[in-house]
Amino acid sequence: MFDLKKYRKKSPWILHYNAGSCNGCDIEILAALSPKYDLERFGVINTGNPKQSDIFLVTGPVTYRSRERLVELYTQMPSPKVVVAVGSCTCTGGVFREMYNVEDGIDRYIPVDVYIPGCAVTPELIIDGVVQALDILENKTKELEDAKKLYKKPTEKEGVLNLRDSALKVGEDEED
Amino acid sequence: MIEYILIVLAPVFGGVLYGFERVVRARMQNRQGPPVLQPFYDMYKLIDKNSSIVHPMHIVLAILHFITLWAVVALMILGYNFLYVIFLHLLATIFIILAGFSVRSVYSHVGSNRELLAMLAYEPIFILIATGFYMINGSYDISLIRQEDTQILSMILLFAAFLLTVPLKLKKSPFDACEAHQEIVGGVEIEYSGIYFEFLYMAKWIEYVFVYMILLLFAGNNILLGVFLAIAVFLIVNLVDNSTSRVNIVQTIKIIMGIGLTLSCLNILGLSYV
Repeated sequence: MFDLKKYRKKSPWILHYNAGSCNGCDIEILAALSPKYDLERFGVINTGNPKQSDIFLVTGPVTYRSRERLVELYTQMPSPKVVVAVGSCTCTGGVFREMYNVEDGIDRYIPVDVYIPGCAVTPELIIDGVVQALDILENKTKELEDAKKLYKKPTEKEGVLNLRDSALKVGEDEED
Repeated sequence: MIEYILIVLAPVFGGVLYGFERVVRARMQNRQGPPVLQPFYDMYKLIDKNSSIVHPMHIVLAILHFITLWAVVALMILGYNFLYVIFLHLLATIFIILAGFSVRSVYSHVGSNRELLAMLAYEPIFILIATGFYMINGSYDISLIRQEDTQILSMILLFAAFLLTVPLKLKKSPFDACEAHQEIVGGVEIEYSGIYFEFLYMAKWIEYVFVYMILLLFAGNNILLGVFLAIAVFLIVNLVDNSTSRVNIVQTIKIIMGIGLTLSCLNILGLSYV
């Protein structure tokens, strides 16, 4: 029986999410997928569907509005999966660091495997980061990974599940 | 015996065709493109991934869609009745439409609606093509159509109408509104994941085999003409896919019904007076 694990590397499907980015990094991601840089030669498809993706490309510092969707998208992706933080904002907050409406980077909420610095990142760096992410993807387990902080169990009010209220406020404890 | 081997190998052949097409499309854009066996790598990866199920019937419908399509190709290879084959293919499409409506995702519903509209557009043309073959050969039997001489010149308008439906059937630009990646995120396939998405993925390969087998029927017993037609249509469809943008579903229906149905009706009228 041959090992199915090695085929993960050969067909990574990408989900791209903009968590409040200025669109600079998004344009570079699209450039990397375009004919000139040709990420498709590694078997990459930009699916846009979390249920069929392996690599989660996130751009932008996480704004308060987008963090709930960020975690929801992350939890919808089936394991094994890797997260790639694209751009300075996504890694550390960048120029938006410690502003009132952003979180400083996505690693406060979901576990990140590869950080790609740069403002905006170059397509070459994105390709490099994705190829590094493939090596990590090959060794990942199939166990579900939990999102770090924001996710909490859906509350039930009068028999109705409230999925919208799964975000924690800043400073709120996970136990609350 | 050779027929049964062909039936078993039909999805594999479709997969290679799909992979080859991705390479050809990449070369047309002056880039390298994925390896030819890329669809099979995707398949192994999808088998290896975790999968989530919305509800069991959703999965069953996808598997039924795949099996019915395989049966359609099998019946075509064995040379059964062309009209029955078209109706069985209709059933396969209905399974996937039901699957799309059976979940609560809005995109899935939109995809199903568009699939239904697309079906209304191409189905009359397929039936008129079958009628055309009947008027020329006196039989719907595919095995008999394959033995007769080619009549492509007297069916040229029907052939043109069929060419219009090829991008619609293979989900290619400009008629890919049913699937519309990034716009409605794949339509009916949105809620599938892991190994269950694999069935839809493989059904797409079999769809290729189905379309190209109908194309080969136009060539009759002339194998050279068949090969020429297949290669020409393959290149034309990919060229059009690369160079046009998506039209919306209403325009798709208008183009396919307006041009395709008119052409095929004219051809049938002409055949009935000869």
